[in-house]
Amino acid sequence: MLYAEKLKYVFYVIFHPADGFWDLKREKRGSLSAALTFVALTVLTLGIEKLNTAFLFNENRISEVNVMVDVITVLLVFTLWCVANWCTTSLMDGKGRMKDIFTAIGYALFPIILIRLPLVLVSFCITAEEGAFYYIFGFIAYAWTAILIFMGTMMTHEYSLGKTVFTCIITVLGMGIILFIGLLFFNVISEIIVFVSTIYKEVRFR
Amino acid sequence: MGRKKERFYTKKHQRGSSAVRIRKAALLTAAILFLDASEVRADMPYDTYSYNYWGEEVKEPHSYLYAGMISGDEIGTDLSYPSDLFVDDQRLYVADTGNSRVLVLSMDGALETEIGFAKNEADPLKNPQGVFVTEEGHIYVADTGNSRIVEYDSAGNYLREIGRPVTTLIPDTQEYSPTRVVVDGAGRIYVIAYGINMGLVEFNGEGEFQGFMGATQVSVSMFTYIWKNYFSTQAQQDRMETIIPTEYSNIFVDNENFIYATINNLSSEDREAGADAIRRLNPTGTDILRRLGQYPIIGDLEGATFGYDYSSFVDVAATDYGCYFILDETDGKIFAYDYDGISLFVFGRNGIRAGNFQKPVSIGLSGDESRIYVLDNTLNRIFVFQITDYGRHLLDAIRLNNMGDAEGSTREWQEVLKLNSNSELAYTGLGKTYLTEGNYKEAMECFELGNSKKYYSKAFSYYRKEVMETYLTKAVIAAAVLFLVIWLIRRIRRYRRWVGEVRCYMQKN
Repeated sequence: MLYAEKLKYVFYVIFHPADGFWDLKREKRGSLSAALTFVALTVLTLGIEKLNTAFLFNENRISEVNVMVDVITVLLVFTLWCVANWCTTSLMDGKGRMKDIFTAIGYALFPIILIRLPLVLVSFCITAEEGAFYYIFGFIAYAWTAILIFMGTMMTHEYSLGKTVFTCIITVLGMGIILFIGLLFFNVISEIIVFVSTIYKEVRFR
Repeated sequence: MGRKKERFYTKKHQRGSSAVRIRKAALLTAAILFLDASEVRADMPYDTYSYNYWGEEVKEPHSYLYAGMISGDEIGTDLSYPSDLFVDDQRLYVADTGNSRVLVLSMDGALETEIGFAKNEADPLKNPQGVFVTEEGHIYVADTGNSRIVEYDSAGNYLREIGRPVTTLIPDTQEYSPTRVVVDGAGRIYVIAYGINMGLVEFNGEGEFQGFMGATQVSVSMFTYIWKNYFSTQAQQDRMETIIPTEYSNIFVDNENFIYATINNLSSEDREAGADAIRRLNPTGTDILRRLGQYPIIGDLEGATFGYDYSSFVDVAATDYGCYFILDETDGKIFAYDYDGISLFVFGRNGIRAGNFQKPVSIGLSGDESRIYVLDNTLNRIFVFQITDYGRHLLDAIRLNNMGDAEGSTREWQEVLKLNSNSELAYTGLGKTYLTEGNYKEAMECFELGNSKKYYSKAFSYYRKEVMETYLTKAVIAAAVLFLVIWLIRRIRRYRRWVGEVRCYMQKN
């Protein structure tokens, strides 16, 4: 029952972001498990959207869609943001812990589920001329989520508006840096593996 | 530049054991006697493909087969660097530039008339590069070396000449060398001339200069403009390319008196902006080409992505129902488009096999499109391509649809689909006829297979309306009944509660 209530709390959060995110952390009205549920649902939504949107509004070539790629992309972006945000805010007097950031961002993803999932159904009922509505609502979902992420960051870390903007920019930069280092490591490690395996082969064939 | 892919059909996989091979050889000899188009197909020196919705080359059955050539042997006299070919219902007209003459040939290539002079023997043509024949059979020759247009009657007798346009718009220092000429139904004469980039030179029926028509607009990127006008020094400006409008490479008048004009040197800015390398000009010079395709009409799309040479359009020929065939010099391909600017098919190539071009310069269509003639400037011959069943069905389907014959069009599209089930065009075409017939559900299915969102949306809106009309009353009645039932249940519950309360009350007292 407690879990269900924490899920239900998301409706308060998305309509009262300032209050909602404050209580989310301070009053413990949200939980990490609920947040992870929302992340999973978001991934599901984007997958369903790619595969099942009506022909008129589906820009993807169904035979070439790889849902796993999208799943990994979403999870990667989500994790990257949280980690980068945690890195920056812990240097900038942020009051949020890793868990708080995760929870807030998870709750902030909810408009995507709320709007884009029904839009898949709507896409079957409208023509290309009425497509403007479809695209506007699709955009609203993302804009709403962006605002919620912003507010979530502000409330979790008890920041002022200006500082939040600054933090968000730094976080995006941080994501880039983490990605860069990650790729670098990946490259170096694969080089090392090749190196070791070559040595092994040379030794074996001697 | 490298070829994209070396594509040759091989018959390797068909070869069996020696016994089978001998029997096959015997069969083959028999087959050669009854050789038909389908047998030759595998040996064509080119592939036929078209671009689908996703911009991929999709191979398809040949629309036209190489059927032979007309060279010096057939004509009886060798050509030398010929540059223009005109085809009407009975004859071929060749501007034999190197020999300073125009040849009139029968459809088989037999020489009928040779035109080498204007007024008299003392007034020869000099490297004529363009030839055009009007409906009445009057022959117009762009006599490039003598800076004039010469008109002959159908027998080749001199009628008049139209010299350099009398105007101050072309500076006296500028040479006037007409290379291509066309005449529309109203007698207006349009000329392409070397170095004149203001558009086509237009003369009226009397040969008086009227002005320039259909000038191409110069598109300059913002960056180039600012750099060039505000920041670069005089020395830098002197070394820069001057930005000049593109010139037309060739022109063609269709049956509606619109002029198709090809461009073979699109600027990179134009390419980035998605400009087409062809225009269809109305008499005021406005481009009215229909562009409903997914991609610009620039020939091969891959040229842009992977850095191969772009297709370079040198000539165009159009049918009476809006399909047009564009000849590309770079790869020696012929690109066919329908009236919406959607790729129909692409065939032909430059190369050394029989049926390959070296330097194609001009294309002509026979009256019913059953044959395509391509003039080669280097090989000095005319290639003849014969339409296949597939090509016939495809073009007929479009023609019949254009004429409003939905039934015939459907039949032809179905034939096309039998031969090529990948044809998006056929699905879309079939869908269009279903749409006019009112079979919206089928139309939607066809448009989905044909990847035509525009028409799908149209069919869908009708289908939705149909569904609404069928089910709306039922839905309203169902909703009303539902409400009534809910209301009744509530009423009954309330009544029971009231009865219960009353009983309770009565028992208490």
